Amino acid sequence: MQNIKDKIISFEKQLAPECKELIEHWSSKEKLYTDEDYNYTVRNKTLKIKTHTESLSHSQIPKISTPRYTAWGDLLHWQLQENVPGEFPYTAGIYPFKREGEDPTRMFAGEGGPERTNKRFHYVSLGQPAKRLSTAFDSVTLYGEDPHTRPDIYGKIGNSGVSIATLDDAKKLYSGFDLCSPTTSVSMTINGPAAILLGFFMNAAIDQQCEKYIIANGLETEVEKKINALYQHKNMERPRYHGDLPQGNDGLGLMLLGVTGSEVLPLDVYEKIKRESMASVRGTVQADILKEDQAQNTCIFSTEFALRLMGDIQHYFIINKIRNFYSVSISGYHIAEAGANPITQLALTLSNGFTYVEYYLSRGMHIDDFAPNLSFFFSNGVDPEYAVIGRVARRIWAKAIKHKYNGNERSQMLKYHIQTSGRSLHAQEIDFNDIRTTLQALYAIYDNCNSLHTNAYDEAITTPTEESVRRAMAIQLIINRELGLTKNENPIQGSFIIEEMTDLVEAAVYAEFMSINERGGVLGAMETMYQRNKIQEESLYYETLKHNGEFPIIGVNTFLSSKGSPTVIPQEVIRSTEEEKQYQIATLKAFQKRNEQEAPALLQKLQQTAIANENIFEVLMDACKVCSLGQISNALYAVGGQYRRNM
Amino acid sequence: MQQIEKYQPQNKIRIVTAASLFDGHDAAINVMRRLIQGTGCEVIHLGHNRSVDEVVNCAIQEDAQAIAMTSYQGGHIEYFKYMFDLLKEKGSSHIKIFAGGGGVILPTEIKELETYGIAKIYSPDDGRIMGLQGMINDLVAKSDYETLTELKNHLQILKEKNPKIIAETITIAENHPENFDKTKLLKPSTTIPVLGITGTGGAGKSSLVDELVRRYLADFSDKTLAIISVDPSKRKTGGALLGDRIRMNSINNPRVYMRSLATRQANLALSKYVQESIDICRAADFDMIIVETSGIGQSDTEITDHCDVSLYVMTSEFGAASQLEKIDMLDFADLVAINKFDKKGSLDALRDVRKQYKRNHNLFEANDESLPVFATIASQFNDPGMNNLYKAIMDKICTKTNAPLQSKAELTLEQSKKIFVIPPDRVRYLAEIVENNKRYDQWAKKQSEIAQKLYQLKGTLEILNKEEDEARH
Repeated sequence: MQNIKDKIISFEKQLAPECKELIEHWSSKEKLYTDEDYNYTVRNKTLKIKTHTESLSHSQIPKISTPRYTAWGDLLHWQLQENVPGEFPYTAGIYPFKREGEDPTRMFAGEGGPERTNKRFHYVSLGQPAKRLSTAFDSVTLYGEDPHTRPDIYGKIGNSGVSIATLDDAKKLYSGFDLCSPTTSVSMTINGPAAILLGFFMNAAIDQQCEKYIIANGLETEVEKKINALYQHKNMERPRYHGDLPQGNDGLGLMLLGVTGSEVLPLDVYEKIKRESMASVRGTVQADILKEDQAQNTCIFSTEFALRLMGDIQHYFIINKIRNFYSVSISGYHIAEAGANPITQLALTLSNGFTYVEYYLSRGMHIDDFAPNLSFFFSNGVDPEYAVIGRVARRIWAKAIKHKYNGNERSQMLKYHIQTSGRSLHAQEIDFNDIRTTLQALYAIYDNCNSLHTNAYDEAITTPTEESVRRAMAIQLIINRELGLTKNENPIQGSFIIEEMTDLVEAAVYAEFMSINERGGVLGAMETMYQRNKIQEESLYYETLKHNGEFPIIGVNTFLSSKGSPTVIPQEVIRSTEEEKQYQIATLKAFQKRNEQEAPALLQKLQQTAIANENIFEVLMDACKVCSLGQISNALYAVGGQYRRNM
Repeated sequence: MQQIEKYQPQNKIRIVTAASLFDGHDAAINVMRRLIQGTGCEVIHLGHNRSVDEVVNCAIQEDAQAIAMTSYQGGHIEYFKYMFDLLKEKGSSHIKIFAGGGGVILPTEIKELETYGIAKIYSPDDGRIMGLQGMINDLVAKSDYETLTELKNHLQILKEKNPKIIAETITIAENHPENFDKTKLLKPSTTIPVLGITGTGGAGKSSLVDELVRRYLADFSDKTLAIISVDPSKRKTGGALLGDRIRMNSINNPRVYMRSLATRQANLALSKYVQESIDICRAADFDMIIVETSGIGQSDTEITDHCDVSLYVMTSEFGAASQLEKIDMLDFADLVAINKFDKKGSLDALRDVRKQYKRNHNLFEANDESLPVFATIASQFNDPGMNNLYKAIMDKICTKTNAPLQSKAELTLEQSKKIFVIPPDRVRYLAEIVENNKRYDQWAKKQSEIAQKLYQLKGTLEILNKEEDEARH
């Protein structure tokens, strides 16, 4: 007996205090989820949440289901590697509960000129309490150039995305959405020239708030006079929103079209509004240049310079307390779309993420000042590993940030957006695509993704229609609101296979990290195009198995219809009109003409700042007021170098 | 699946491959260009995001029979019609345009483009019916023709520097030497220096040349430049990948002419016709000529027969210092660049190469800085080492040839120093993260085992206590 007591004392000494606490407090923790209400605080606000929902059969469905373990070993291990959602290592999710009353649904648009996309944004968000706008840009914008009559540029203006070349374009694009409202968030899919588009966006948000200030202080007439005087002086016509405002657009953001708040308000007032606006904008700019070099190729600047721009943005965010805007969306989506398997997608993306961490640290930024500004973006296909991609990502990130980088809880939480796999959609039997998307969305929702985009079934062949987008949206809504098991928020925890898959994928990611490490880290590996070649090999493997039928795809290589499931060819695709293209060129020319006096000095200042190694984004914020996208890109090429293609 | 046999070309076919402007989808064109090369063609690959102007200029300068492109980003109607028009405008309508864009290019648009004059747009159905090699066979067969075979008034008008005329003259010298008499070439009006650049494969020669070109164009606002770049042919297929242009950002300039040559004999570093090409560019009165050769490596001294000033480009990865004794170019080169100077061991390499250079040239007393051995990082924008190398090259050219090419660039004392994104002492970060996370996992496992033992012991103690209690009552 004494022997046993001695052993207990000796083992108790070996048990870490935090582990002891986890064991001792387990029953009280469990009770939190069985009590009727759960209280917790977010940003100093106490929230009360019902822990159960009732089914039609009057069953009480727990939001969080807890393990039935009683033995300490299992209980401790579960808490150290799984834990309830909202607690380290955040395997099951980063928040204790899902947000109520807000589906993680993004509203996607981007076609033609800013007016057409603005109309579309208002159409898809009409009546929705939260406006989560996702912006797709045309390829001219993606490559940092201005619209032009040259045919090889001309044909691409406003196609598969919106054409945005100036601050005025950005103001029109988001007009009628209060960019500083807590219920608005904007995501911009832009990488090469991300800093410039972000500059347009920030200025648009600031000028909206200036407009609100002008109205609140009854300064409309005075400001109107000032603007008219400015334009009379330049002998030019004021720009305006082309066409009628769509339903839902109250015109916010259009009062100062063609000028900026700094031209019509006293400097101190403007500066104050600027600070406050920037601190309150919400959204994401993709700006992930590493994955561009590895998979997607919309690089315009030399990689070093592009990274420096990212660092400058983050540094600017820290100084200006921009906390609710993600300075980068570290993306695996394009890596997966280029053909990588889910493990490679996850490993490359996380390794890119840690590269940004190391780079920002080396620039003297503190982990807790920037880690909360990082977000992730993954693809969800149908492979088994996709069932756990979020779990593994959160767990690896949390362990590293907590123990290696000593980051706080907020820094440890990995937030990610999921888009269902575009590559898994096929041009044959396109009706089947919604079934694939549904399954992928289910993976994502069960895995507690922070936001989700479901693809439309016809995306494999054309630009989605209103009908197909509505169906895609319905997929999410049906899972979130109709599917009973989703009332529970940790439905996959505790499953043997899920736990085994999680361990397996985690180990595979570490193995890949070591491969990249051997090549000198992410940048070293990029020099020999390691990532690119790996993606290509995996793509080829999939294509081979798809081609020889070993990898069955229903309606594509098996289960063909009596007609052989032919490729569906769209009758018509949505393309931008002549009028829109001409209009974009005309407004750009007017903008450049209007600012021809001011622009050269700012472009020069931008170059000097770059050479002097100071923060480029700071000057960019001013340059964006009077310079077009192409002007800024070209000025920066001269001091930062253009991207050099590889083979 | 039945194997489709490769088409056998009758002529020397040169094809330019690229992906459209503002279009990063390069997976398909990369597959295609490999197959085209495998089918015996010389492929000049430009990579993604190329404007019509760039592609057309390249095709004309290279005297290609065809252009093969992919376009997945829309705007293909305008793009290809513009390409067709521009070729026509420049008198090169014979250059055929082939393209593909998966489902993005609609059947009606394919019809429209083919009616306009585009040779062929391959649809996904073409791919399914013909197979990949079948599609490539079709493309190569349609491109299997000779461009110009006999000179007209080419030699008289070379000095106008019309790229098409120069390109045709080089082709005739290369394909029909019987129709080319180099003695008929007109004499250039001044001394035209030839800079020869050679070095090991993977030393970053094309980037380095591009950086020299960029500086040259900025240094002289009116001087012209011709570049002749030689890559090896594959002995087995006769095809070649002429890949220097993909790395070059500065060459699409009216003052620059570039021509890629395949060795057409696998054992040579230089094309048999490199001297003819140089002579033609000389007769065209370019202010300077750069000849860059394939990286065969250590016995690459052939180039010195063709140039006035030679530059040897290497990296620190040559192995032991004694390996340097085998490199002939260290005897012959006027200048040596140790590129990729951010690579490990570069400082040692610089020291060893300097030593070897001193030995080779009996310069034992010379101080290190005076030696023409340069540390460069061509991939880094505005690299000080590259600035110094450029200046030294131009100075050498002036002193050796008296060419009127005095550089206005200033020599700096600055050394190439890599501006590191990740500091060198942090480069193991991924391994550290793995170690860190695995340490946590082990700790979690151990702690859980301890907790389990405690649970078992406490349970046992409880049972024993209970039994003892019961025994007492």
